[in-house]
Amino acid sequence: MTIPSYMGLQTALSGLEAAQAAIDTAGQNIANASTPGYSRQTVNLTERSALTIPALSSVTGDGAQLGTGVDITSITRIRNQFLDSQYRAQNTTENGNSTSSTILSQVQSGLNEPSADGLSGTLDQFFRDWNTLASTPGDQGAQQAVMGDGAAAGDQLNTLSGQLSTLESQVTSQYNTLTDPSNSAVANDANEIAQLNGQIAQAQAAGIDANNLEDQRDNVIDDLSQYSNVYVNTQSNGMVNVSFGNAALAAQNGTADATPLVSGTSVDLTDNVTDSNLSGAGGTLGSLLGLYDSTSGTGKLADYMTTLNGVASQLVTTVNNAISGADASGPSATPFFDPTGTTAATIAVNPSLSSNGTTPPYTAAEASAAAGLSGGAADQAYKAFVTQVGSDVQSAQNAQQTSQSLLTAISNQRQSISGVSLDEEMTNLIQFQQAYQASARVMSTIDTTIGSLLSMVAAG
Amino acid sequence: MIGRITNQMTAQMTLAGIETAIDRVDTTQQELSSGKSINQPSDNPAGAALALGLNTDLSNLTSYSNNVTDGTGWVQAQSSALTDITNSVQRIRELTLEAANGTQTTADMQASAQEVNQLIDEIKQDANTQYNGQYVFSGSATSAQPYASGSNDTYAGNAGQVTRTIGPNTSLTVNANLSGVLGNGQTVSGQPAGDGLLLNALRNIADDMQSGNSSAVNADLSSLDTNLNSLDGLSSNVGAVQDRLQMAASRIQTLQTSDTQVLSSTQDADMASTEISFSTQQAALQAALQAGANIVQQSLMNFLGTGSG
Repeated sequence: MTIPSYMGLQTALSGLEAAQAAIDTAGQNIANASTPGYSRQTVNLTERSALTIPALSSVTGDGAQLGTGVDITSITRIRNQFLDSQYRAQNTTENGNSTSSTILSQVQSGLNEPSADGLSGTLDQFFRDWNTLASTPGDQGAQQAVMGDGAAAGDQLNTLSGQLSTLESQVTSQYNTLTDPSNSAVANDANEIAQLNGQIAQAQAAGIDANNLEDQRDNVIDDLSQYSNVYVNTQSNGMVNVSFGNAALAAQNGTADATPLVSGTSVDLTDNVTDSNLSGAGGTLGSLLGLYDSTSGTGKLADYMTTLNGVASQLVTTVNNAISGADASGPSATPFFDPTGTTAATIAVNPSLSSNGTTPPYTAAEASAAAGLSGGAADQAYKAFVTQVGSDVQSAQNAQQTSQSLLTAISNQRQSISGVSLDEEMTNLIQFQQAYQASARVMSTIDTTIGSLLSMVAAG
Repeated sequence: MIGRITNQMTAQMTLAGIETAIDRVDTTQQELSSGKSINQPSDNPAGAALALGLNTDLSNLTSYSNNVTDGTGWVQAQSSALTDITNSVQRIRELTLEAANGTQTTADMQASAQEVNQLIDEIKQDANTQYNGQYVFSGSATSAQPYASGSNDTYAGNAGQVTRTIGPNTSLTVNANLSGVLGNGQTVSGQPAGDGLLLNALRNIADDMQSGNSSAVNADLSSLDTNLNSLDGLSSNVGAVQDRLQMAASRIQTLQTSDTQVLSSTQDADMASTEISFSTQQAALQAALQAGANIVQQSLMNFLGTGSG
């Protein structure tokens, strides 16, 4: 048996095609070098099955395997699923910390501490006014100063309470916007994953690589992971099931999720986007619930409100008690703070004081007792509150910075595997350009060979 | 740990480096412009708590210091009034001694009696001394005039105390109980009340001089001397209060200085070291920017011929 004359042409053609595919893939990689979520692609080449030529050798009488060229088996994404899940876990943590840190910083800025204009400075001034009044009990100016700075302290507590309420409703509305079943970030992401699942399964059934669809799906899952924990379970048909929130954490620990957020092409929001599934989980949604859960009225902001109300109540009680217990006329003296307003939102100077006219109602002993409260229970409770907010903000910021740098590190590792290096692609381009030229040279050599044979036949 | 370095990584890392450098410069710049190392509680929660506490301490010290100043003014007003009263009483004692030796005529003694009554009026006026609009000798009823001028000597104040807080749980009684020495004198002219105190003794002397009874005047001397002693005692009490106020003032001054120092070291930025950090960080930022401008531009393409092959 002899070697077919034109087989070499086919071999050279396969080389041309392989080099062409590699050059095109390098072109695709370079074009998408900056596309978010793009994974670099590589052409997987294998040898074509050899042509067995029996008894080629007249010496040994044995046959030989003649190579028939190169085969493009597939063009695949280079991606590490393990790094993906690490990236998503860290993305969840980072977004949770960043949400807390942002909201808590707003609480902190509202306090305006440490400064002379914060509540702490106002309280200091308020108690100094009482001291002045104690030295000059009949003095109208001293009385007015006490009234004015008492009102200022009350106003500041009212304002702080108002700011906390505003933040609570902001947190609630942000949570509601993100979890709205009809049109929210979470619902949109889940629907997109389900849609892509269907397209990928179709492509896979038809034997087509769905690289771009898979890139898109991974990108959407990355996006979903900022809201809460996600757990991705890949199915044999190319679809993925995505668990969300606490269910994802449970699934990670081996408890199968009966109602995943995305299961094949269907989306289940009712079982997954619930307070109970998201509360305590990570991500923006878990953090928002930890800050303020409007259903139960709990969370860090609610705790702050309780503490602030405690400060207001302490201030009202201690000042009023100090006055009433100071001397014989104390019990019948008008309480300085309105005794009915004992929360931060309602604390106010007793309105009957301003209608009291020209007679300053407090004796030196009463004023002196009130002045003695400087640095007392209300003061300390407020300072403890400021310190608590400060530590909370500090730890949230530190956690945010740590998770941010971890996220960058993991992102870099992922980039290192899947990202496009232009230098590498340039090198590949040169390599495959030369391979292409060489294959073309093979083709022209065969052409010349066969041509010379034919011309001899013609001449004969 | 990283094998491949891709262009996106280089770009991201350069950007992250620049952002970190800018963030540091920004923080330091904030410290420099505010002069404080604690601009928010979260910068240093423990330090912020300390700073807030120290601010309250300083505010209290300001109150104590104001009280000491006010108390000192109060005590000085009392002190000068007491000196005047003592001088008046001494003058009356001289007149009494002259009248008691029996050499004066009734007319002389009656002239002396007139002077004594005038001096009693002066004493009562001194007892009505005010400081900052408040009567210093009327107990805690500081808006009530202690003695009315004229022949009625009834004390209109009370026995209450006026105190000034000069330290934590430390209050000082700053009013001298002058009414305890002066007494109620006589309530109706010519009808001496029997409390035996200074005004009573002085009115007795005036009455006895008026009637020209030198032996009765002589007998009044012992009562006068007893009351003069009480007056001296009162004066030295006031002096003691003044000393305590002075000591308190210097103690408060020391505490203010040390609190201010601690507060400053807690919340104020160390300018020298912050300045040095600032220039170091600026250099780092410049380096990061330069790296971004120069290194990111480099790639294999810079070194490949355009028409290679």
